[in-house]
Amino acid sequence: MQQSGRKPKKVTYDHYGYFFIAPFFIVFLVFQLYPIFFTFKTSMTDAVGWNKILNNSMVGFKNFQTLFTANETSSLYWLSFKNTVIIWFFNFVPQIGFALILASWFTDQHLHLKAQGAFKVMIFMPNIITAATIGMLFFSLFSYPIAPINTLLQKIGVLNTPFEYFRNVPTSRGIVSFIQWWMWYGNTMIIMIAGMSGINPALFEAAMLDGCTSRQIFWKITLPLIKPILLYNLVTSLVGGLTMFDIPHLMTQGNPNNMTNTVARFIYQQGFTGTYNFNMASAGSVVLFAIIIVCSLFLNMLMKDRTGTPRKLHRAMHK
Amino acid sequence: MKKVLALVLAVMMLVAAVPFAMAEEAITLNIWSFTNEFQGMIEKYFAPTHPNIQFNFVLYPTDGGEYTSHVDTLFAADAAAEDAPDVFTLEAAFVKKYVNSDWTGDLKDVGFVDEDFSTCIPAMLQIGQDNATGVQKGLAWQSTPGALMYRADLAEKYLGITTPEEFQEKVADWDAFLETAEELNEASEGACKMFCADGDVFRPYLYNRESGWVVDNALVLDDQLYDFLDMMKTCEEDDLYARGQAWTETWFAGMNGTNEILCYFLPTWGLHYTLKPNCVPGADGSMSDEELQKLSDENGGTFGLWRMVAGPVGYSWGGTWVGTNAAKVAAADDAKKAAIKELIRFFTLDEEFLYTYAMDSGDFVSNNTVVDKIIAEGGTPNPFLGGQDHYAMFAEAAALADASTMTEYDEDMERLFRDNVTLPYIKGEVDLDTAIANFKAAVTNAFADITVE
Repeated sequence: MQQSGRKPKKVTYDHYGYFFIAPFFIVFLVFQLYPIFFTFKTSMTDAVGWNKILNNSMVGFKNFQTLFTANETSSLYWLSFKNTVIIWFFNFVPQIGFALILASWFTDQHLHLKAQGAFKVMIFMPNIITAATIGMLFFSLFSYPIAPINTLLQKIGVLNTPFEYFRNVPTSRGIVSFIQWWMWYGNTMIIMIAGMSGINPALFEAAMLDGCTSRQIFWKITLPLIKPILLYNLVTSLVGGLTMFDIPHLMTQGNPNNMTNTVARFIYQQGFTGTYNFNMASAGSVVLFAIIIVCSLFLNMLMKDRTGTPRKLHRAMHK
Repeated sequence: MKKVLALVLAVMMLVAAVPFAMAEEAITLNIWSFTNEFQGMIEKYFAPTHPNIQFNFVLYPTDGGEYTSHVDTLFAADAAAEDAPDVFTLEAAFVKKYVNSDWTGDLKDVGFVDEDFSTCIPAMLQIGQDNATGVQKGLAWQSTPGALMYRADLAEKYLGITTPEEFQEKVADWDAFLETAEELNEASEGACKMFCADGDVFRPYLYNRESGWVVDNALVLDDQLYDFLDMMKTCEEDDLYARGQAWTETWFAGMNGTNEILCYFLPTWGLHYTLKPNCVPGADGSMSDEELQKLSDENGGTFGLWRMVAGPVGYSWGGTWVGTNAAKVAAADDAKKAAIKELIRFFTLDEEFLYTYAMDSGDFVSNNTVVDKIIAEGGTPNPFLGGQDHYAMFAEAAALADASTMTEYDEDMERLFRDNVTLPYIKGEVDLDTAIANFKAAVTNAFADITVE
């Protein structure tokens, strides 16, 4: 036994925690925060081409002016924005719908679905494949005039002559929306299931004892209680949807007539083709950034519980 | 980040090269390239006879512009940097961008004289020249003239043509080509199409413009472009082509005989690396001629059914050029300059090497003397072409190609033109004026420095 007269020195390991979180912050600062500020700065310069990426002069809000007055650039930008919203909408609505239905089936105590794991894996699967592969796959499937879908539809008598899917606005947008839906509804479903299984089963039991139907339980108990999860899904899907790039880029290249061009493709084209207009690409990014912030805040407000959920329910949910 | 990575890679290669470098006071050259083709050639043909020259190779893929953005960022920062390339390779898509800039050096600065280039195939030389000054900045070891490949069996069946000479008459110019297309469509009752995709005929048209896309920083729409649109519109309305797209199922289906397409416009590499490996479903590039022939005969492929003619116009498609980094050359001592010259001379002008390489690879080389020698020795009778000598045919085609209209804007312009004009116009989605206006708007968007009227 140690018999020192002094009080034993207190050993603290607290500061080691900083070492563990340091890698994240270093990576974040270098690869995320700095580029964001750099983008803001570049958006106010005349940086065209690699030569001027560092040696440029400030031009104030000129680039933003270009985006908000009538000219070739702004018309393409806002057309791309419109396309993005349309494509996002037709992917998002069915995505949330399917995810909710599937999640409520998988979590329903009455149904007791068999082989849940297998179904979940299969539904989630498209999300694992890279977008590049899927883009090329669908491009080949829907090609013209000789391609699997055209051949199939001709064989079963739906079409007499091959159809050019990627020269038609609704079909080309539709295919992009479909891919986005197909890739992401599994992911959304998993998050919904997590949200739903977090609800205290006592609430469902109580509802059942009171004679609620499955539908009533879904609308009155499940849905209100997964509101935060819904909000999370809405915001992530909105951010993902507005920055959509890979599928349209690889499959349609914005065709036909720029009708599947998205904002991210606009930014890419400005920044990395032609004369490398980094200034316009940055300005486009900053405007998109602002739009996403405003939309997210709006969604947050919309979904906020104004009725003031009793604390008990909140606790029940987070049990 | 990428610069750091490049540096790390370069350092790693340097470390790997150290044991060799210690042997003698060796000269080390930094080589940047976009495939390992050049590196392989150096290791196989050059290194054994030039032990005093060492190399640091840096490779970046061309996908998504990775190679060019590395070169651009480096040159923008410090072209004379230690790890900057002394010599770098340039692909057809972006060779003009660099030889038209001050970044690539005049080859005379490392000791070449005009006479050195006298036996080079003119189109390939032309592409390596600065458009504004005519200074020679890049040289190529290959030449990539294009020709017209056609199915002899289909030509005989529908048009009654039995020899390539007769067929050439049928496609001697674009009017004849279009007439033949109409004739073919009638004779085959629409079963056999003249060609597959708009892109197939676009390139030959592009090569025969009088001016490039951009002259004195202003956009120029050459008459050839309008001629091309007229022809494609007729082909679309009269159903004369297969309405496919290059590198898609429909395009390959015509090559392997699944559907009937009479002609393909293909360059040297297109014959060996595109048409031949796709002549029968299930074929691949590693098969020998005999294996391909057997597979093709058993499965209704097209091996041996193709013939080659010059076609309506001469053109060229693809290629690789070697250029020097002006900043590094300016700072180099005589010994290093001599090494750079020797490297470029060996691969692009050395007749002995070019002959060996042509024999080994079957590639079509850029030197007239060597090409003539190969033809004089009996050429390269090709069973795939029913015994036709492709070297002789390509030599004819090479003489026709004129690359004076090539500019650094070509790749982007061609894409914008197809998306905004060719497809919407020929498919009847917009009228010609709207299509051209859309194209001009797209050019304004992409290029901050081009005037568009």
